[in-house]
Amino acid sequence: MNDGHDAQILVLGWNFRGASGDVRERVAFTAEEVRDGLRRLLGRGLVSESVIVSTCHRSEIYGLGEGERTGDELARFVSEWRGLDRGLLERAGFRRFGAEAARHLFRVAAGLDSMAIGESEVLGQVREALSIARETGSTHAILHRLFESAVRTGKRVRTETEIAVHPLSIASIAVELADKVFGDLSERTLLLLGAGETATLFARHALESGLRDLRIANRTREHAEALAARVGARVVTWEEVAGELSSADVVVGTTASPQPVVRRSDVETAMRQRRGKPMFLLDLAMPPDVDPEVKGIYNVFAYDLDGLEEVAAENRRRRVREVPRAEGILEEELGRFLFWYGNLSVIPTVTDLKRRLEEIRDAELGRVPAADRERLRPLADSIVAKLLHEPMRRLKSETDAGRKLDRVEAIRHLFDLDKE
Amino acid sequence: MHLLEWTAVLLYAGAEALAIRSLVRPRGLGGAPILVAAGLVTQFAQLFINARSLGSVPYRTLGGSMALFGWMLGLAYLVLVVRHRERGVGPFLIPFVMAFSIVGALLPSHPSPATSATRGSLFAFHVTLAILAYAAFALSFVLSLLYLIQNRQIRRGRTGVLFSRLPALDVIGRMNRTSVTIGILVLSVSVALGVTWARRVWTGLIDAKLLFALITLLVYGLLLWMDRRGWEGPRVALLSIVGFIVVLFSYTVVNLYLSQSHVFR
Repeated sequence: MNDGHDAQILVLGWNFRGASGDVRERVAFTAEEVRDGLRRLLGRGLVSESVIVSTCHRSEIYGLGEGERTGDELARFVSEWRGLDRGLLERAGFRRFGAEAARHLFRVAAGLDSMAIGESEVLGQVREALSIARETGSTHAILHRLFESAVRTGKRVRTETEIAVHPLSIASIAVELADKVFGDLSERTLLLLGAGETATLFARHALESGLRDLRIANRTREHAEALAARVGARVVTWEEVAGELSSADVVVGTTASPQPVVRRSDVETAMRQRRGKPMFLLDLAMPPDVDPEVKGIYNVFAYDLDGLEEVAAENRRRRVREVPRAEGILEEELGRFLFWYGNLSVIPTVTDLKRRLEEIRDAELGRVPAADRERLRPLADSIVAKLLHEPMRRLKSETDAGRKLDRVEAIRHLFDLDKE
Repeated sequence: MHLLEWTAVLLYAGAEALAIRSLVRPRGLGGAPILVAAGLVTQFAQLFINARSLGSVPYRTLGGSMALFGWMLGLAYLVLVVRHRERGVGPFLIPFVMAFSIVGALLPSHPSPATSATRGSLFAFHVTLAILAYAAFALSFVLSLLYLIQNRQIRRGRTGVLFSRLPALDVIGRMNRTSVTIGILVLSVSVALGVTWARRVWTGLIDAKLLFALITLLVYGLLLWMDRRGWEGPRVALLSIVGFIVVLFSYTVVNLYLSQSHVFR
């Protein structure tokens, strides 16, 4: 499919679906490598425009070129650049052309192509990719418009559907729930039981969410001290845990203790001391750190891993249910882009420009007396033909596809050829 | 003469539509408070015209007092939105503003001529403050419902649109506390003024409406006490709902059938 253009949008990519982590790692580019790659691609004349999107889960090279031939050249380029076997690259990757390439980018920006459907990070990464390409001077009319449309689609999908509303990770679900109990987490106290990997991850997430007063207790005090030093927290001795409960708004259990660390009687005592102020208990340990019986205590919000995983699964289903609506928005925006893109072909532009000039000619002729009209018509025809001749010749003879499209776009804009 | 009243109702309906929309779509939030403000200005114009023709605050009919109640509730909503920047309560509160304004417009608004007993600023303040107190309790009622809804969402881990748009429990709780405190203070002043006024014009002070006002104060006083004694949360919210049922009873049944002296027909 060529869409009537001499140049065609194409994408060559590797993502989590087809490429192993090893291959993805080899084709992942830093911002500096992206700049370097873009300069080389354009310098060698492989494509007339290019943008590279590179994230943990995907590396995609968008370009404006000549279909499969450019696809082959790009694959060869990446194989040489990253020192990877071409066959392996081809098997692990994918190619899309024309409208399909555009649709792919829109899906990526909308989060529909992500592992966690609707995730928002990828939209920022697409925007960043466009910004780097603009700095490097590797985008012109087409890819610039394509990426801007994709970013707009991504924003619309996230604001007009619920695809990004429901959190998916256990930590973000827990933090959101706690946030809806306490309002402002920055003034609250979190007591973290354990100092392992889960504790570290949760501590980071909680601090990112604005929580400031973090206390860590671990049976082996040195581990608690090491984690506290890393994240900026206070250490509580293991013996103090029961006493600390009364001042803790959020308690998170992550230890490997075979017995519950937090007993119902401890929580009851703490709640009396807290004068019934809500307490949020999150048990991420297996076997449980928190006695499940605490759920019955007034104003205690207690969640365990199973419960939160159910919430995560339900949230995933809710996001999936939003996909058709998101796709509706996507197709609407894609249709708008393709309409604009389709109009950029040289032939329809020349036809449109001719019609426009003839309309002007007829309008002006209509204003002169009928007797003079026929006499003036050959002159008017000749002016229209002369005006059209040079732009048509130059457009058709332009060999640089990107420049040709830029000019077509300029003509369409200056003569207002896209008006309905 | 009802044109302004119905215009206000329409503006409230528009505000409700925008408020619901803002609950589903986070964009375009600003419209609802503006339409409520426009409704309040329009309704105030009507209340002012009524007051001019009556020569007093238009509360001597059930319709008039309902309209005044709706207006004060609308004002309370606006203060809440502007002060707390919490728009999540709008869709639930505006219907009450609308409902009271509609009832106010439908019920008869031509009172029997004012007697000497129902003239004067003491009486006017007594009634106006009582209506303001009831508006504050109505606000507390709505906030308590929202508290219970949000509490349920959190306990069930339902992190959907309602969950994300409704304020946190702590915020709703604080709003509720402020509302109830204002209601208690204003109603106490209103009762004191009423008693002072009644001593001048009535032969005795025993009256069902007064009794219910005292029960109302007792219920909400208990609520604040419980809130400080470790019962904050769903129990306080439930008590606020009970308190509002007493208010509704006092406002309707007691007004119409039980009280000998507090008659608004």
